[in-house]
Amino acid sequence: MFSFTKPQHAFELGSITFGGQPGEHPTVLFGGLFFKGVPDFKTASTHLAAMLKIGEETGMPVVPDLFIRKEEYIDPILSFLEQHLPEAHPFSVDIIEPSLKVKVLESLHDHDLLARTIYNSLHIGVTAPERETLKRCTPAMALIVAFNPKDASPDGRIEVLENGAHLLDRGLLAVASSLGIEKILVDTAALAPGENSGAALASLPVVKEEYGLPVGCAIHNVVEKSKWLSRYGSVKATVDVASNAGVALFGGDFALFGPIEHAPVVVPLMAWFDMVVSEYAEAYFGVCPSERHPRRVFYP
Amino acid sequence: MTARCVTSSVVGSYPIVVPGSELMAQYFAGENVSWYPYITDAVGDMTEAGIEVVSDGQTRDPFIQLFTRRLGGCRVRARTEVVGPIVYRGGITVDDVQVVRRLVSPSTKIVGVLSGPFTLMKSCIDLFYHDERACCLGFAEALRQEAAALSWFVDEVSIDEPWFANELPAYAEEAIGVISEGLSCPMRLHVCGDVSRIVHRLVGMPVDVLSHEFKASPKLFDAYLQYPSEMGMCIGSVRSDDVRVESVEEVVAHLRRAEEVFGRRVVQVAPDCGQRMLPREVAFAKLRCLQQAKEVVYGG
Repeated sequence: MFSFTKPQHAFELGSITFGGQPGEHPTVLFGGLFFKGVPDFKTASTHLAAMLKIGEETGMPVVPDLFIRKEEYIDPILSFLEQHLPEAHPFSVDIIEPSLKVKVLESLHDHDLLARTIYNSLHIGVTAPERETLKRCTPAMALIVAFNPKDASPDGRIEVLENGAHLLDRGLLAVASSLGIEKILVDTAALAPGENSGAALASLPVVKEEYGLPVGCAIHNVVEKSKWLSRYGSVKATVDVASNAGVALFGGDFALFGPIEHAPVVVPLMAWFDMVVSEYAEAYFGVCPSERHPRRVFYP
Repeated sequence: MTARCVTSSVVGSYPIVVPGSELMAQYFAGENVSWYPYITDAVGDMTEAGIEVVSDGQTRDPFIQLFTRRLGGCRVRARTEVVGPIVYRGGITVDDVQVVRRLVSPSTKIVGVLSGPFTLMKSCIDLFYHDERACCLGFAEALRQEAAALSWFVDEVSIDEPWFANELPAYAEEAIGVISEGLSCPMRLHVCGDVSRIVHRLVGMPVDVLSHEFKASPKLFDAYLQYPSEMGMCIGSVRSDDVRVESVEEVVAHLRRAEEVFGRRVVQVAPDCGQRMLPREVAFAKLRCLQQAKEVVYGG
């Protein structure tokens, strides 16, 4: 269990709070909406509704993370969001291709959605056109992936945030600031097994103590790459959802937990861990849980 | 023409742009990030220019972080901090040099480049030793192990000590001797900048070859005339701080001047310093010019 000496930022977006001391606010859970080929919005709406419902029941904040891989899917996906996500509820857009990032930002601006957008993500691959577009079409919040190809340790994450590890003209935090992005989430960049994968979790308290920013990661990605687990049948799926507990236990604020279909298991699981953390944080550090914390939901 | 074995070489770094977007694409694809394409590009340019003793190009990092990142007791921040005893934890540049060995023909030689212990010490913030000599010798001992590991794969080890031009400590020979003693291959000491004040000390260094910026500081020829020695010399012959590409005639004249001063002690010709700060096409043109001039004076 952790409590940090550095004052902790707590950013509001819609009705969700990101950050704070462990035990204060529940872990924000990002459920991935992956569309293979033509988006299947019917199935997506079912999964989204299920995640929102279980989030509401448990007091756990949930955010859909939308993977956009082709330009022609931008508008349909944003329209889907407008129809199926409650007004003002935040969402994240997860895009890899730099030119597509520019187009998505412009569409978010056109749809007047930037105030609800979590940009996933800023990293050492940020391009000049992307920077220019981010200045014009600035999302409310951005996720910084602190991946340092030169150093997989927690120090490497600090370095890339601080000075870009000599791969950028400045550190990623300064890049975000120069673009006018004020609400920052730091993703500590899960790596494959054998590449210091544990450092993604170990970096959570390190980065949080250094900057006071909300931190998290997609630790389940490490499970996906742990091929040996496949020998044990359904155990791999169990470990995948359970891995997210590491985020709560290492003082993190958010988890990108993988496919949204996992929400019915991940959300109550994380509510349970958040309650364990909260009980100890309150007893030992005097940190009270927020009003919508699952501890207050289940033990009013 | 003077027919003897004088080789064209490099001092160390070569300007290869490493795009963050390429590295992130590998990260998102779950692949191990590979630096080998950038090493391949650097070595490809050197060999295409005809250079006979090539380096790995030091594409991974600036030359301080390249070493401190991999040494125990060092913590990379804006400036590296020494936070514990400096400990060698295994090969730093050895893997990259092995890649070079696979890339080049058997007749091409390789120089393994080390950042010098005094320069490393002076570039770091010492939070542990609180004693410059002890910190420097700590780096020297770690570099001794790296040099020994490199010696299996390289034809020469070069120590880059730019800081000596500013300040030559009383223990300089001791620190360099820690690395060179018992080394199974020849060792070169590169000190850039104006070293005219310290030539009398440099000629007594426990190394086989001295390397300087003779092109940017031709007055060094006069300084060396005052201190005859048997030390081999590497003649910096194209500038590393000027984008103007020298003509072959100009470099030939420079090499003839070196012949007048050093005679048969000239064993290598090279750029004045690492070429990291030059545009790639300029760096390449300078290497090609260097090689052509060397062939005019010493044969192919």
